[in-house]
Amino acid sequence: MSRRGWSVAAAVLLPLVLAAVAVGGVLFLRQGGFAPYRVPRDSHRTVASDAATLARGEYLAHLGNCVACHTTRGGVPFAGGRAFALGVGTLYSTNLTPDARAGIGDWSADEFAHAMRNGVSRDGVLYPAFPYQHFAGLADADLDALYAYLRSLPPNPQKPPENRLAFPASSRLALVGWRMLYERPPGAAPATAPSAPDARGRYLVDALGHCGMCHSTRGPNGSLPAEGYLAGGRIPGLDWYAPPLDSRQLERYSVAELAAYLRDGTSPHGSAYGPMAEVVYAGLRAISLDDATAIAGYLKSLPPRPEPAPAAAGAEAAPRDAPLANGAEIYRTYCVDCHGDDGQGKPDAYPPLRGAVAVTAPDPVDALRIVLYGGMPVTTAGNPRPHTMPPFVQTLSAGEIAAVVNWIREGWGGRRSELGRADVEAVHGIATD
Amino acid sequence: MPTHGLRIVLLVALLASRAAAGADALGERLAACAACHGEHGEGVAGAEYYPHLAGKPAGYLFEQLQGYRDGRRQNTQMTWLVQFADDAYLHEIADYYAALPPRARAADTGAEQLTPERRAVAEKLVRDGDPARDVPACSACHGTALTGLEPGVPALIGLPADYVVAQFGNWRDGIRRSLAPDCMHDVATRIAPEDVRAVASWLSQQSNPDGARPAPAGAFTPPKACGALPHAEAAP
Repeated sequence: MSRRGWSVAAAVLLPLVLAAVAVGGVLFLRQGGFAPYRVPRDSHRTVASDAATLARGEYLAHLGNCVACHTTRGGVPFAGGRAFALGVGTLYSTNLTPDARAGIGDWSADEFAHAMRNGVSRDGVLYPAFPYQHFAGLADADLDALYAYLRSLPPNPQKPPENRLAFPASSRLALVGWRMLYERPPGAAPATAPSAPDARGRYLVDALGHCGMCHSTRGPNGSLPAEGYLAGGRIPGLDWYAPPLDSRQLERYSVAELAAYLRDGTSPHGSAYGPMAEVVYAGLRAISLDDATAIAGYLKSLPPRPEPAPAAAGAEAAPRDAPLANGAEIYRTYCVDCHGDDGQGKPDAYPPLRGAVAVTAPDPVDALRIVLYGGMPVTTAGNPRPHTMPPFVQTLSAGEIAAVVNWIREGWGGRRSELGRADVEAVHGIATD
Repeated sequence: MPTHGLRIVLLVALLASRAAAGADALGERLAACAACHGEHGEGVAGAEYYPHLAGKPAGYLFEQLQGYRDGRRQNTQMTWLVQFADDAYLHEIADYYAALPPRARAADTGAEQLTPERRAVAEKLVRDGDPARDVPACSACHGTALTGLEPGVPALIGLPADYVVAQFGNWRDGIRRSLAPDCMHDVATRIAPEDVRAVASWLSQQSNPDGARPAPAGAFTPPKACGALPHAEAAP
C-alpha cells in the first residue's frame, strides 16, 4: 500500500478504533470499573460467631435458599457440586463449607461480602447463575451473619467438578464482556436490613430471596433487564414457567393466604410445584410469619406489568390435530373426580384448575409436565400429608394429553390452546437435577 | 372390673376406627402411587417393572423411598414424586403399604427351566451361600421360607427372574445403593453373573400361594449388618 493509502486507511479506521475504545471504556466504567476485580485478599476481618449470630445466619440462609443450589441430591449440605445444565454447557455450584482448599475456609468476611455483592472471588469472575446482582443489595450485618453461619458448618473436602462450558462462555474474560453489557452495580448497600414491613418485604424479595432469578423475564444472554422485573417467564436451565409476581397475578390471594403459601407450599388456590416446591422445601418453610407476610404484602403491592402480546392475535385459527371434544371426554374420565366438573377442585385436597397458574400461563410447559409426570406437593408443617397427582405418561398418549390440556386451558384459563402431539413429546423426559 | 373392661373395649374400638379412617384418608392422598403400583399396592400382574408394595416390610419400603429422594436409587419418576417429602410422610406411606395384605403369587412357570446342575448351584447359594467368597446364604437374611424379615428385609419368593437379575446388576454397578454397609453391593460383586441368573430363575419358580408375611422382627438374626436396619447394631 502506498503512503497515501495508509493515511486514508488510518483516517477511516482511527476514529472507529477510538470510538470502540471509548464505548468499551464507558461500558467498563458502568459495570463498576476496576473495583469489582479488586478482591480484598489482604483483609482478615472476622465477625462475631455467638449463638444468636449463628442462628440468624442460619435463618438468612434459609431465606436465601443457599442450600438448594449448593447441595447435590442426598449430598453434604452446602458442599456444592450440583449441576446446572444451561444452554452454554454445565455449571457446578461451589463448596460453601469452611474447608480451606475446597471451600471458603480461607476467606475473610470482606472477601465473602465482596464475592456476594460483586460476583468476583479469588477464583475469578463468577457466572451470573450466581445471583450476585440480587445479593448486591444485602445489608452488611446480614452478610456477616451468613458468613459466620457458613464458617460454623463442618468443613467438607469435596471439590465440585470442573465446569463444562463451550467457548466463549468457558472464558472468564467473556464474563467481563457480559458484565460490561448487563452488570450495573446498584450503589451502596445498607448497613442493616430494613425492618419496616414494606421495606423489609422488598429487601427480602430483591436481595436475599433473589425471586427475580426465576420470576423475571430474561433479556438476551440470560440478562435481567429492568423492564422484565418479576414479569414472569421460562426459567433458564430448569424449563419451568414462573408466573409474574404482581397485584394482578396474585389477585386471588389475600396477603395472609400468600404468606401461608410461602411457608406451607399450599393454598386454597393451589400448591407449589417444580422449582417453587424446592424453594419451599429447602428454605421458605422455615421462615417467620412476619417475614412471609412482608414478602406477600410487597408482592401484592406491585403494579401489574403489561401482558406480553399474544403471539398469534388475530391470526386465522389453524386446524387442530387434537380436537377439543376429545379433551372434554378425557377430562370426564380421568380428571373430574378430583378437580370437579367445573374445575373447582376440592378444598384441602385437590387444587382448582379455574384460574390456576399452570392453566392461565402463556407458557403451557408447567401444565404439560404436571399432567405427564404428576406430583407431590412439598411436605411442610402446614401440609404434612399432601395429596398427590398421578402421572398420566403411561396412561394417556401424547395426543390425548395435548387434547385435555387444550380443553382445560381454553375452558378455565381463558386462552386459545393449540398444543399437539409434538408439543407434548418435546416436554418428555424428566431431569430432576 | 366390668367398667374397666368396657373402657378398654371402647378405647380399642375407637383406636381401630381412627386407624382405619387414617388409612383410608392416606390411600386417597396417594393417587400418584396407585397409578403404577395399583390401588392397593398390588403392582402390575405378571411383572415387577412397577413392583408390588403391599405387605413388604415397612422399613424396607421406607429405605427405598428415602433412597429415591436422596439419590441412592435411580428412577426419575420416583425421584420426581418424593423429592420434596420429609421422612415423617415417607414413613407413613411405607407403613400404609406394609400393612396391606401381601400378594399371593403362583410359581412363574414361564421362566427359564434350569438344568439339574444349574439348579444345584442355585439351591446351594440360596441355602448355604458361598463361604469361600464370603457370600452368605440368601436364606440367612431373607429367612428359610424366603419371605423376608421385618422391618427391613424383603421377601424373595414371588419375584420375576428379570427383576432379580436387574437389581443385581444395579447393586454391582452402584446404581442401586443402600446406606452403608451396603450388603447387597458386596454380595453382587462376589457372585458370577451366570449364578445370579440361576438363583433368579430358581426364585421365580417358588410360589407364595398364601401371601405369607415377612417373619416378625427378631425372629432370627441375619449374619451381616446391613444399611440402616435395626438388627445392624445387634449383628457382629
